[in-house]
Parts: sequence; C-alpha cells; structure tokens
Amino acid sequence: MDELEAEEQAEPTLSVEVSIQDEATVFVRLAGELDMSNTEELEAQVAHALESSPQRIVVEAQGLEFADSSAIALWVRWAALVDHMELRNPSPLIRRVLTAMGLDATLELSP
Amino acid sequence: MRALGARGHIADLWETARGLAGPFTKASSESRRGTVVLSVVEVEQDRGTELSSDSEIAPVRVAPSRRMYWLPGATLIIGLVITAVLVVLTHSVYVHNERRLLRLRLRDAASVITAIVPGIQTPLASAAELADATGGDVAKFRRFITPYATGKTKQFASVSLWRISSTQAVRVSTAGLTPELTPAQALPFLTAAVHSPSLSVMGLLSDPSPRLGYAFGTPGGAGPYVAYGESVLAPRRHSPVQRDSAFAGLNFGLYLGTTQNQRDLLAASAPLPLRGPKAVLSVPFGDSAITMAMTAQGSLSGTLPQELPWIIALAGALLSLAAAGLVLRLTQRQMYAERLAVDLEISATANRQLYAEQRSIAQTLQHALLPESLPEVPGIEADARYHAGERSVDIGGDWYDVISLSHGRLLVVVGDVSGRGLKAGTTMAALRYAIHAYAAQDDPPETILHKLSGMISVVHQGQLATVLCARIDVEQHEVCVTSAGHLPPLLIAAGEARFVDSPVGLPIGVEAGATYGSTIVKVPPRATLLGFTDGLVERRGENLDIGLERLRAAAVADVSPLAQMLDNLVQQLSDEHDQDDIAIVGMRWTS
Repeated sequence: MDELEAEEQAEPTLSVEVSIQDEATVFVRLAGELDMSNTEELEAQVAHALESSPQRIVVEAQGLEFADSSAIALWVRWAALVDHMELRNPSPLIRRVLTAMGLDATLELSP
Repeated sequence: MRALGARGHIADLWETARGLAGPFTKASSESRRGTVVLSVVEVEQDRGTELSSDSEIAPVRVAPSRRMYWLPGATLIIGLVITAVLVVLTHSVYVHNERRLLRLRLRDAASVITAIVPGIQTPLASAAELADATGGDVAKFRRFITPYATGKTKQFASVSLWRISSTQAVRVSTAGLTPELTPAQALPFLTAAVHSPSLSVMGLLSDPSPRLGYAFGTPGGAGPYVAYGESVLAPRRHSPVQRDSAFAGLNFGLYLGTTQNQRDLLAASAPLPLRGPKAVLSVPFGDSAITMAMTAQGSLSGTLPQELPWIIALAGALLSLAAAGLVLRLTQRQMYAERLAVDLEISATANRQLYAEQRSIAQTLQHALLPESLPEVPGIEADARYHAGERSVDIGGDWYDVISLSHGRLLVVVGDVSGRGLKAGTTMAALRYAIHAYAAQDDPPETILHKLSGMISVVHQGQLATVLCARIDVEQHEVCVTSAGHLPPLLIAAGEARFVDSPVGLPIGVEAGATYGSTIVKVPPRATLLGFTDGLVERRGENLDIGLERLRAAAVADVSPLAQMLDNLVQQLSDEHDQDDIAIVGMRWTS
C-alpha cells in the first residue's frame, strides 16, 4: 500500500502540445518529465500526426526537465521515421545524456 | 538492499516461470506448453483458496448480529425506563395535586356546612326566648315561627314548641308537619337541649321519611320551653349535586357524628362507598358534628395534568423506538465501515504480498538471465553485482558479462536495454548470447558491436540498447574499449581514477550496420576497471557529470578488496527513490 501510494505521488507530470506547422513539419512541445510511465501515452498522442508522413519532426524540449532511456528511444524512433528529427533546447542534463549516448547527431540537437 | 553475485540456476528460472505464469496467461498462454498451463491452474486455485480463507478469518463477520442489536436494544430499554420514571413522577405529582385540591374543596364545603348552623339556631333560639317571655303563648309562637316552617324559604319541615318538666315533654304547639320525634325520644333529647348552650342535633334517620331534628331551649323560666325543628332529608339520602354549588364536580357523603357510619348517613351524591381517592373532614355541627367524605368526579386540576402521564408514556415510547432505530442504523453503518476497512486491509495485504512476490520473481528471473559464474583467469580478479531498483517490480534491461577469449584475453560487457519488463529482459538475453557467439568467432569489440547493431531496431521493437565492450589483455596490461552509446568505464590505479575516453558510437537499435571505433589504453599494475550502467550514476534532476564524479570520488577512496568495493559502491551510490537497476562489473589486475 505504501509503495503504491508513493508510486502515485511520484507519477511525473507531462504536458504535450502537438501541432502540424506546415504540411511537412510536426511540432511537438514537451514540458514536465518524460519516462517509462508516460512515453507510450506521448507516442499515442503524436502517432496521429505522423500518419501524414511528414518530413520533419521538431521537438521543443525547453520545458522538459527529465527524459529517460524510454523517451530517448522514442525520439530515436521518430528520427528513423522522418528525414529530420530536431530536438530543440534540451536542458543541459538531457543534452549531456544524449551526448554520452552518441545521439547528438541523430536527434539534431539545437542550438 | 540485495546485491547478488554472479549466480543463476535453471531451477530458479523454472520456479520463476511457474510464478510468472499467472500474470502472463492472458498474453501468451496459447504458446505455452501444457505443463506450464497446468501449473497456471494450480496457482490460480491456490490463490482462490487463500482468498476464501482470508474472508473467513475476518472476525467481524462471525458475530455481527449480536453486536448489531446490543446497542439499539440497550437504547430502547434505557429510553423506556426513563419514560417509565417520568410517567410515575408525573402521575404522582398529579395525584398529589389532586389530593391537595380535593382537601381545599372539602374545606370550602365544610365552611358551607358550618355556615348553616346559625341559620337554624337563630329562629329556634328566638322562638324559645319568646315562649319563655310570654309564658308559652302559643299564638305568638305560631305567628313568629310559621314563616320558617311554611314560608317561601321554608327552613324547617316542622317546628314545634315543647314544655319540659322533669317527667315529661309536652308539645305545646306545632307549625308545619307533625314531628317524627317519638315521645320516648323527646324527653331525654329535649331535656339535654335545655342545658346545652349550643344547638342540639338529632338524627331521625329511619326510613321512609328520614329527618334531622334540632332543638334549642332556654334554661330557667316558666317552662322551660324548647323550640324543636325538623328538616326532611332526601329520600334514600340521595342528593344530586347542584352544578354551581360548593360540591360541584365532587362526590360526597355526609354523616352525622364523627364517623362514616352508614346508619348516620345524611346525604350522598353517589352510591356508597365512594370510589377513588377520598378526603374526610369532620366539622362541629351544633352539639354534634358532621363528617364529610369527598371524592372528585373527574380531574380537579384539568384534563392535561390527568392525561400528561399517558402523553409522556406514548411520546417516550415512540422516542425510544426512534432512538433505537437510529442507533441500529448508525451501528449498521459503523459495522459496514469496519467491514470495509477490514476488506481494504485484506486486499492491501494481498497487494503487498503480490508486490513482494512479483519483485522477488523479477529478481529471480533477472539473476537467471545473468551469468552463472565469471571465468577465472590468472592475473586478474573478476566480480560483478546486480542491484534491482528499490521500487522496481519488473525485470530490468541491464546486464553484465565476462567472456573468456583466446590467448588468455577477456571480453567485459556491460549493457542496458531501454525500458523494463519481460520485453527488455528477453532483448537483453538475446543481445547477451549474441555477443557470446560473436566473441567465440574472435571478433574484435568494434566488429561485435557492428554485427550487433542490426539485431534490434528501435523502429520495430521500440527499444534501443547501450553496450560497452572492453577487451582485456591481462598479461599486456591493455584494454581495448568500444562503446555503443554507453557510459565509459572507470579506471582506478595508484590513488587515481579516470574515465576511459573512447569514441561513442550509436546505441544498438538506432541504425543497422553502424560502425564503431575503439580506444586502447595501457593499464597500470593492480589497476581496477569498472564497467557500470547508468543506474549507478544517474539521478533525476541532476547532471550526469555530477553522478560520474560521485562515482569517481567513491572509487578512489575505496581501497577494500574488489568484492567489498563493489558492495560499497552499490550501497553508497544507489538511489533508494529510483527504480533504475544497477549492473556493475569490476576487473582487478593482481599484479
């Protein structure tokens, strides 16, 4: 019971905004924390926008405080689906992890 | 915390599969062999009996009815007792009040009786005086007394004048009816009246015409003369009460004398004996007395005080019933809440058990997927730890391996598949065994990772894996490090520690056919090489470099034997709030 409650309290909050900027670009704005508990949800939310086979996905990660390996795996998956996957303004923490994993080029970190 | 060495048994794995079968039936029961499905049934049956025995031991379900009715019953009884006490009190107050009122009415009535005496005495006394003064003048007597006997007021039925001698009483004159007084009665009564200062009274109470006789005489004089009057009593002494009289609302009996003797009854308003609470008072009446017995016809203090005990009884009974009903309802609710709490506790306990069970199953399976033992090679010591995240109930994707290569070399592998659960666990196992196969072909680390890169695909499986391969040449004191997106190994020697700087390639699963570079570093004597997964250094909200530095500092400070050092590092660096697993493998040159 205690463990379950603790888990509920620790449930990370994530806000997602998905928009299609022009026909070729899907724009995803993320804020909060992204981990195993909510990456599937994020994937489902974005899946619809990806049906139109866009050329580019831009993830605005300015407000994102945490991303675990599941989240990174999802981004890499998106990167494989489009010509350009751009991760904008990741926090230094996330950027450091992505660099350690050798993914800075794959995810086109910017700036 | 539980840090286990490299061990694992087929028996463990089988036990784990048995335990896991329950949760996994939905997903994969079709593909399972018959034996496993059989054990699923066993497990479920076991759970079923456990649950039913749980519900039987819940104590409140055994004796709810007695507890349910005890309190409402007590409330009802207490309510009724209070009601009864109130009824008795009210009734006694009422009775007391009635008695007091009855006595007051009796005193009123008595004063009326007393007030009659002068009205009787005065005409008789005057007549006697007149007779004395006139020497027994009959004409004057009659003229005086006739209005009293025949007039409108008609105070007497009969008035007569008697002359008394020592031997006889002679009736001189009579007005009204003939007196009932017999000659035998007359002499003693009238003689006594002569000498009595007050009115003499005598009851002539035999039927059919009962009368009351009064006499007043004057001592001395020629006669002496006595005036004697009689008044008629009601037939059968029944005298209904006048509505506006002093006796209104009362039943009474009037007796001559000081006792309530039936013989002496003068009048009664109701059949005797009178029923109900009775008040009795004797008042002087001439030389005799009149005794009054009195009861009330109804309630003297009014209807409400009379009915009040009954109203209280009824209201009290109803209130008691309502209170008992309310208490019953509250008791039922409380018991329901208690039962609910017990049920909740039971299911919480079951949840805790399931949680612990699942965690233990996951750990068993995890250890079954890790190397049973590490190879023993002269010149180097190898050890490893796997620490499951404190809150994790799933298998993690972390692993480690130490593989013997040709020419006395070793391949140290540390890897981490993204995500958790059976999927991560099976992917991990697949990668681990693939590396074994490639290592057996004597491929260098960069080739191993290159071949591995196409084994999984993040697009198809949604997973990627970071892998560190370090080929160790024990004798040459050399390490060749290759990384597929994995954190670098830490090299500790002579009170210093540094992360081996090697090119980082793409994680496995990102791109099939990815290429990897490697770095060869020389290793000082008695150096220690640590490969680890991110759980050891990563914390939420903290830069990775801080975690890496924490590990570096801890490793430099630790001079204990390798096994102890790994235990220490896991203990110091694991985050109890994180559910990430930790795999760590340590290689220490003995020279």
